[in-house]
Amino acid sequence: MTAAGPGAGGEVRVEVDRIRCVGTGLCAATAPDALELGADGRARALRAIAADSEELTEAAEMCPVEAISVRSAATGEQVAPRW
Amino acid sequence: MTTAHHPGPDTPPLIPLHCLRHVEPGPPRQAALPTGTAVWLVTRHADVRQVLADPRLNRASLYAADAPRLMVTPNILDDPASLLNSDGPEHQRIRRTVQRAFTPRAIERWRPWVSSVVDELVADLVAAGPPVDAVAALTRQLPVAVISRLMALEGLDHERLAHWSDHALSATAYSAEEIAGAMREFGAFGHQLVVERRKNPGDDLVSSLVQAADQTGGVTEEQLTSLVCGLVVAGHETTMTTLGNALVYLLDEDRAAWRRIGADPEAASAATEQLLREIPLGDREVLPGLLRRAVEDVEIGGVLIPAGAVVAADAVSANHDPLVYPEGTPDLFAPLGTPSLTFGAGPHHCLGAWLARMELELGLHKLARRLPGLRLALPVEEIEWRQGLLTRSPQRLEVSW
Repeated sequence: MTAAGPGAGGEVRVEVDRIRCVGTGLCAATAPDALELGADGRARALRAIAADSEELTEAAEMCPVEAISVRSAATGEQVAPRW
Repeated sequence: MTTAHHPGPDTPPLIPLHCLRHVEPGPPRQAALPTGTAVWLVTRHADVRQVLADPRLNRASLYAADAPRLMVTPNILDDPASLLNSDGPEHQRIRRTVQRAFTPRAIERWRPWVSSVVDELVADLVAAGPPVDAVAALTRQLPVAVISRLMALEGLDHERLAHWSDHALSATAYSAEEIAGAMREFGAFGHQLVVERRKNPGDDLVSSLVQAADQTGGVTEEQLTSLVCGLVVAGHETTMTTLGNALVYLLDEDRAAWRRIGADPEAASAATEQLLREIPLGDREVLPGLLRRAVEDVEIGGVLIPAGAVVAADAVSANHDPLVYPEGTPDLFAPLGTPSLTFGAGPHHCLGAWLARMELELGLHKLARRLPGLRLALPVEEIEWRQGLLTRSPQRLEVSW
């Protein structure tokens, strides 16, 4: 199994740019296993390293300010959002 | 018709939006809406952000049976079926359906097309003048052309659209009956569109919304119709306003910046963010901020806001908070750092933010590139303003070169 690729099942590093984040909560509603909206109204990853999933890719792509990045834990290659 | 403000000997000229004074950011304070309803006015960047993102403050409770009067004459923002006025998981479900069409990547696909529309409008403007009314030639045309194409509304009578839009965001320009009548007609139009695109889907936004909603389930026909109408209005009124007011600012105050915007697309992109932060959409006397209501006691900026209280989140003041942004005349080409609150924050953050940015950036860049010597043909004091709406922008803007 390869690490990269949306929903491929590898391990990914999830990062939220908390300055950019405007707290829509769309990511937490989309991937509740990986992301949550903190008490300060900013999203955060529940764990720095998570299993890649379609929901996580969707959460990163749905963010209206592109504050979320999902990278392969092994290679650092960006998995989502993809351009 | 909206009441155009004609400056005369008895009426002092209205000042341009970028010259309006904002409230000094500070702790929440008590104020009143034009209806007399008491509100907590929230002005600091961190506090405005909290009000907009904290689930203890919401939109739906503004329309509960016990809610105080918010608008002298209600308009489209007061529609309880709208996405804006729903909250929580129900709202998130619908919002996710729509959001797919508005992600930065989805919007980027429209760039070549938006770019070609701007090229055509700018070429026509140049051929028609000087002088030319930049509102009729560009700022009114561009957003209508873009949203019409996105929603496949080609052939729609632009005057009819403008009529609905003016009523939809009216503050004092029309009576309650006039607004209700126009909104009924607009709603019938929206519903017909939903029914039609369900039967004959195309590759437009309305078709994809109907398909997504029907697949996801649980979105009522009323919500879907309200969404379609909301997109038509939101898609053009605010962009037209921002583009018109940005032209007033640049051509009146900063023509060096104008030339740089024309010379460098990246400079145009940075300037768009700063202009969005700097210039308000309307007068604070009409609406002091984005409204929410506390559903339980909540502390904002050290002040206890009791359950049931109405809060006005003043993004204009927050966008000038000295704790976040440098004071004084803005450097239009400096990166913004912290996002401005012009598009709001929290669950109701503006759906069309990326589309608006793209239209503004391309509109300003291409006009400035073609006409680096563009100037206002009349003094700024003689500008006629569209009035009686939630937004304020030039009714006409005579430019020359």
